[in-house]
Order: sequence, then C-alpha cells, then structure tokens
Amino acid sequence: MNRAEIRQGGPDPGLYEEEGPDLAGLVALVSRGDHAAYERVYAVLAGPVYGVIRQVLRDHAQSEEVAQEVLLEVWRSASRFDPARGTVAAWALTIAHRRAVDRVRSENACSRREQKTAADTGPDGGGVAEIAEAPLDRVRVRRCLDGLSELQRESITLAYYSGYSYPQVAQLLGVALGTVKTRIRDGLIRMRDCLGVTW
Amino acid sequence: MLRDEWHVLTGSYALDALGAAEREAFERHLHHCASCDTEVRGLRETAARLAMARALRPPPGMQARVLAATYRTRQLPPLAGDRPTRVRRAGVSRLIAAAAAASVAAAMAFGLTQGLTERQATASRSASTAVSRVLSAPDARTQTMRTTVGGTVILVASRRLREAVISTAGMPSLPAGRVYQLWVIGPAGARSAGLLSGTGQTGGTLASSAGPGDRIGITVEPSPGTSRPTTTPVVVMALPD
Repeated sequence: MNRAEIRQGGPDPGLYEEEGPDLAGLVALVSRGDHAAYERVYAVLAGPVYGVIRQVLRDHAQSEEVAQEVLLEVWRSASRFDPARGTVAAWALTIAHRRAVDRVRSENACSRREQKTAADTGPDGGGVAEIAEAPLDRVRVRRCLDGLSELQRESITLAYYSGYSYPQVAQLLGVALGTVKTRIRDGLIRMRDCLGVTW
Repeated sequence: MLRDEWHVLTGSYALDALGAAEREAFERHLHHCASCDTEVRGLRETAARLAMARALRPPPGMQARVLAATYRTRQLPPLAGDRPTRVRRAGVSRLIAAAAAASVAAAMAFGLTQGLTERQATASRSASTAVSRVLSAPDARTQTMRTTVGGTVILVASRRLREAVISTAGMPSLPAGRVYQLWVIGPAGARSAGLLSGTGQTGGTLASSAGPGDRIGITVEPSPGTSRPTTTPVVVMALPD
C-alpha cells in the first residue's frame, strides 16, 4: 500500500495529526518566555518523553532525572525549534532518545539496566498502572511492527527501545553489520509508510 | 565511504544507533546529501511514533519540579542568521574557527542591517535583504580563509540561491585611491561583484550568480575598481560543491 492510500483511508488521530493543540505555535510562544504555553506543551510531551527514556534506561530515578533535563531543554531551546524540519514531538523525542542513549553508552550502564528489566517493567517497558492513555498509538505501532520481517522488527526494537548501536544489534542477532544497517533502514521505511508519516 | 553506503545509515541514524564518531561523520554527510536529509526527517518522525507508543504517566511531582525550574532557567536566544550554516571542516581546530566565523558573519550581517542610518538603510534594503536571505538559507555553508595580507574572509554560500555573502575581519586598511574588489571567477573568467570598503571592515557583500565550480577572489585595485583583476588576489576561495 502506498502512503497516499493510507492517508485516504483516514489517518488515526494522534499527536502528529492536525488535532490537539498547535504545538509548533505553542513552542513559538514558549520561545518568548510564555510559561502558560510551556505548561500546555509539557502536558503533551511529558508522557512520551518520560516513557521513551524509561524504555531505554529502565531505572526509575535515572529516567526521571533525564526526562526533567530534556523537558527543561524544551523550555531552554524553544527558539531553536524549526517547524520546517519536523514536528515538535519529533524534535523533543529526538532529544529525549538521544540523551537516554548517550547516558547508557557513557555510563556503560548495561548491567544495571538489565537487572532492572525483569524486575519492574511489564512487557511494554512500563508498569501497567503507568501506561499513559495513548492506546491508538500503541495499537498502531504494534500493528505496523507486526508487518515487518522478524529481522527488521528485532533490529529496530533492539536499536530504538533497548538503545543498542547497530554493531551491537548485529552481534546480538548474529548477522553481518551491513545486513543490520539495511534491515533497520528498510524496516523503518516500511514503518513510516504503514504509519502514514508524511514528512 | 561511498554515497550508497552512507545512505543506508539513515535508519540507524534516526534510531540513534550510530557510534559517536560515525554519527558525527554522518551529520557532515547530511549537509551534502539532500535526499538523505529528507529521508532522515521522515524516519525521525517515524522513530518519534515508536516513542509515543511507549508513553508513560510521568512520576508525580515531576511537573512541579520542571515548571519551577523554568522560572530559574534562562532561555537560549534564537540563532538568527547562523542557524542553518553548514560548516565544512577537516579537523577540530577548523571546526572551532569556522563555528566562530559563522557567528561573526551573522553578527556582521546583523550589524549591517541594524547599524545604518535610515537613508543608507533604505538604499541598501534590497542588498541587505539578499544578504539575510543567503545567511538564513537552509543550505547555507560557511568557510573562512586568511588572506595573504592578513585578516580573514568569511564566505557564506547557498548553492540553491547561487549566491554568496562575503565578510572580512581584520584586513589592513588601504592607502587612499586603493580599494578591495570582489570577483566571481568562473570558467569564462572573472567578473566584478563590487567593492569592499577601504577600511577592510565590511558587513557583508553579496555575490550573485555564484555557485559550485565558481571561486571568489579579492584583489587590491585602483579606486573606483576595475573591469578585470589587475593584481594577484589576496585570497581565492572555491564555492562549496
């Protein structure tokens, strides 16, 4: 199916569609020091920011610390957001994921992270009570991930959700580096088309 | 690395799955590869959806702490004209020099539009608009080079606009009757792009119809300039590919 067909089929509402607050407009207000606008931006971003960081880091306290840093960074660098280059969500979540990954790699915190994994998280990375109310996003992403080949899906989830570099993914899956690079790209392109991402 | 080998890294880059050195190298590659850049944007939006699907209710108290922190955290100023500048570099020292130069160039261009009298501003409005347009072009790239007479030339070029802005810093003043003249040097020869002021302190001079394959040169010429260069250039810079 091509991307146009998916859009015609009616995209699901979500942070990325036209519904909800105009985040880019709010971020422009934030860049001028508008605290009320920041509160509204925070309300939208805090759950995904905290969630993706927790997904990678696992540790509660560390995740909270990094999430606070990232959300404050949104306040601090609002003037640097460029709406021509993507959505507010992608901007903030790129910062969040990269911070989390950099934290893992710089601290080499793998062992601690793995100990935590089994102990305090559900299969989706959060305790059931903590799962934010965005069921559509979860369902849609799950459905699109299911549409990938097993190697594509595993490569993407190990890289993004577990924060491994592609050489580490290659080693974990026992495949060549070139294969992992290709599978990650091909899989992500399929995800993009399946989700109807229009950037 | 071959172009295709770079291109296949778009996915890994969007997922933060490159090591630090490779990430940096890939970001440099992105400046030259518009199709990679476009693909990265789409894949980054896609990665953001993966993050959305993992949204969790944040811990209680986090909101109050973050909101309180905003009241004691100074915000970064906008990057004005230098945000999209692309820096080409061969090493760390050049990176630092070029980054400094990029902000100098932007500050100078800003000075050009801010520091003029009303009459001058009116006269130069179209020129300064063009300068701003180059400095804020998404594909703008910055290079700096020392001249043979001292001082530095800062070149900000947009391939898409086929325009470049040339600023100088610290070039020696010329005796009366001499001027610095700017040239666009192409396969067909050199054509004048106007004069830099005699003090060697200019805000920014626009060179139009200048793109990849062309070079920018500066010579010392008798006032009020000549139709073709008559002296050895004090600097020649190739426009970025």
